[in-house]
Amino acid sequence: MRFLIVEDDPVIAEHIVAGLGLHGHETTLAQTGSEAILMLDRRPHDAVVLDRLLPDINGLSVIDHVRRQGNAVPVLMLSALGSVKDRIEGLEVGADDYLAKPFDMDELAARLSAIARRNVSRPEGSRLQVGRLELDPSSHRARYRDASAALNRKQYSLLAHLMRNTDRLVTRSMLLESVWAYSFSPTTNIVESNMSRLRTALLALGCDPIETQRGAGYILRSDRCA
Amino acid sequence: MRLIPRALSRSPRVGRLAIQFGMAFAIAMLAVGMIGFSAADSWVSSRIDASLRYHTAKYLQPVDGHGADDAAVAAKILDWQRRKVLSERTYVLFGRDGTRIAGRLDIGPLPPGFSDVRFLGGGRNYQEGRALATRLPSGSLLVIVQHSEAAASLHALLPGVVLAISLVALVMGVSATFLFARLTANRLAETQSTADAIAAGDLSRRIPTDRLDGMFAVQADSLNRMIDRMEELVRTQRLFSSNLAHDLRTPLTRLRGMLARGAVDGDPALSGTFERAERECASIIAIFDALLRLAEIETGRHPSAMGTLSLRPLIEDVADTMDPVIADRGGTLEVGRLDDVAITGDSDLINQLLINLLENVATHTPVGTRARLSLERDADGAVITIRDDGPGLAAADLVRVTRPFERGAIASAARGSGLGLAIAQAIVRFHHGRIDLADAAPGLEVRVRIPANDSPGPLADAGAAAA
Repeated sequence: MRFLIVEDDPVIAEHIVAGLGLHGHETTLAQTGSEAILMLDRRPHDAVVLDRLLPDINGLSVIDHVRRQGNAVPVLMLSALGSVKDRIEGLEVGADDYLAKPFDMDELAARLSAIARRNVSRPEGSRLQVGRLELDPSSHRARYRDASAALNRKQYSLLAHLMRNTDRLVTRSMLLESVWAYSFSPTTNIVESNMSRLRTALLALGCDPIETQRGAGYILRSDRCA
Repeated sequence: MRLIPRALSRSPRVGRLAIQFGMAFAIAMLAVGMIGFSAADSWVSSRIDASLRYHTAKYLQPVDGHGADDAAVAAKILDWQRRKVLSERTYVLFGRDGTRIAGRLDIGPLPPGFSDVRFLGGGRNYQEGRALATRLPSGSLLVIVQHSEAAASLHALLPGVVLAISLVALVMGVSATFLFARLTANRLAETQSTADAIAAGDLSRRIPTDRLDGMFAVQADSLNRMIDRMEELVRTQRLFSSNLAHDLRTPLTRLRGMLARGAVDGDPALSGTFERAERECASIIAIFDALLRLAEIETGRHPSAMGTLSLRPLIEDVADTMDPVIADRGGTLEVGRLDDVAITGDSDLINQLLINLLENVATHTPVGTRARLSLERDADGAVITIRDDGPGLAAADLVRVTRPFERGAIASAARGSGLGLAIAQAIVRFHHGRIDLADAAPGLEVRVRIPANDSPGPLADAGAAAA
């Protein structure tokens, strides 16, 4: 995928470009807001990483400008302003995701892939089935072949979220945001502990399609429960 | 720890002030009445004295260049007696030896000059009068006595008039004070509601000055200037923390990038060190985030979605979430009684409150500790209790641990920002509740009380009384 990176700090910009390169993405670098607007006009990008505080114009104004021109390119706002209020401001002005500095490279790559593919994402209401693994929303039960297991609310939501993002890396903080809707960072391994309960239940059913990416997050593999 | 209900009683205390003011007004009016009365009295007296002098001069008028002699004066008196039957003036002439030569008034000789006399008027009642005694060249004494009905009735009126003036002044004074206090209270009402809003964290409010005048407008302007200044200071401080956030986060981002690259590209022997350094970097960020979060909640800057919040499903959700976390650390989480209670709250903050408290159990208690989470409804509202059978806290620590960066002695080896309980406390305070830590012997009991929003608790009552 091709991403536009808008970042004025050369060290951080280089880190992002190198990191996304390792994940197999192409990148273009813009150091100012006006440069970014120019580059977005010139050629299409799959997503934009936009620093909020730029030397010329504010990142929020860049999104505003781009959106008013009818460009719906997914934008991930990267900012040193990390409060809930700053985050809400960023999302309200039209950013698709908001990541506070300092960030983890895998986190950035996972979130960029998620927003870049958002337009092809499966809708919330669709049937939750991956291979022969099925999730029943009315009874909160997971079924695989003839076996079925009851899941608690958290295990159900976790599995549902992973199934909607099959074959994509989902990070812990993405799960905390979408499954738990927490805006704070817990100090214990909430995601890991709940994930381990879910995987134990799935193993008992006979198929655990979830793969742990060490230090990064989880991927539900569609080919595991055929 | 305890929320003190704002504004216990706000009814203007005019009662005692009105009576004091009314009394002062009455005393002032009494003084004015007495001054007025004595002025009138002395005016009447001076008129009487002038009249006495005039008539004395008239009687003693020289005839043919000679001073008036006894016979002439006595003749004038007799003549006057014949002409006047009723008069407020009476004339008496005494000889050298004090015997009465002419005149009918039954009094003895008086010393020369003005004096007050009592005499038997009409043969029955004693009357008071003013007398002027004048020595004639012959040695005789002419005394003119004037009995003033006006002066007497003025004296008789005195007590009644003074009493009436005082009563009217008292009533007027008290009502004027009540009216004044009422007007003052009305004018101060907007100032008060603005001050309450500011106390609640809304620094954008100003006292409307368009309906105020005089000292109220001056006071409102000066208060508004104070709020301007406060808002400016808060803005500066906010800007400072945003700048601090930016200035710290940017080098931390660079540092994290370098460490990550070092872990990948560097010497394989050092990769463990790089990873540990990266973890330390992450914990610096975590403390920093927690501190900013605490500041946001405490200053009311957290963008909260306050609404009706049913606690039972929220607690069930948190219990589901934390059960595996506590189990993975060798403890157990039980869910006790769960009543249905709704509060006015922010679900994100209440989630953080419960997660923080349960993470405390998970992090600071030994393997095998059992914790119990329950939600009860009492007369005041919701009571959330988290009780464990761990080692608990020393009595001195019970108070200390809710302060930022403080920990119990046993927990000091454990990792954490040291802000968990301080954040919990800030969240509870934000919801007008209270948090109490108690020795559960053995273990620790944390009790969170938050007013329910479906029935008026004591806090709501206080609020209604203040409104």
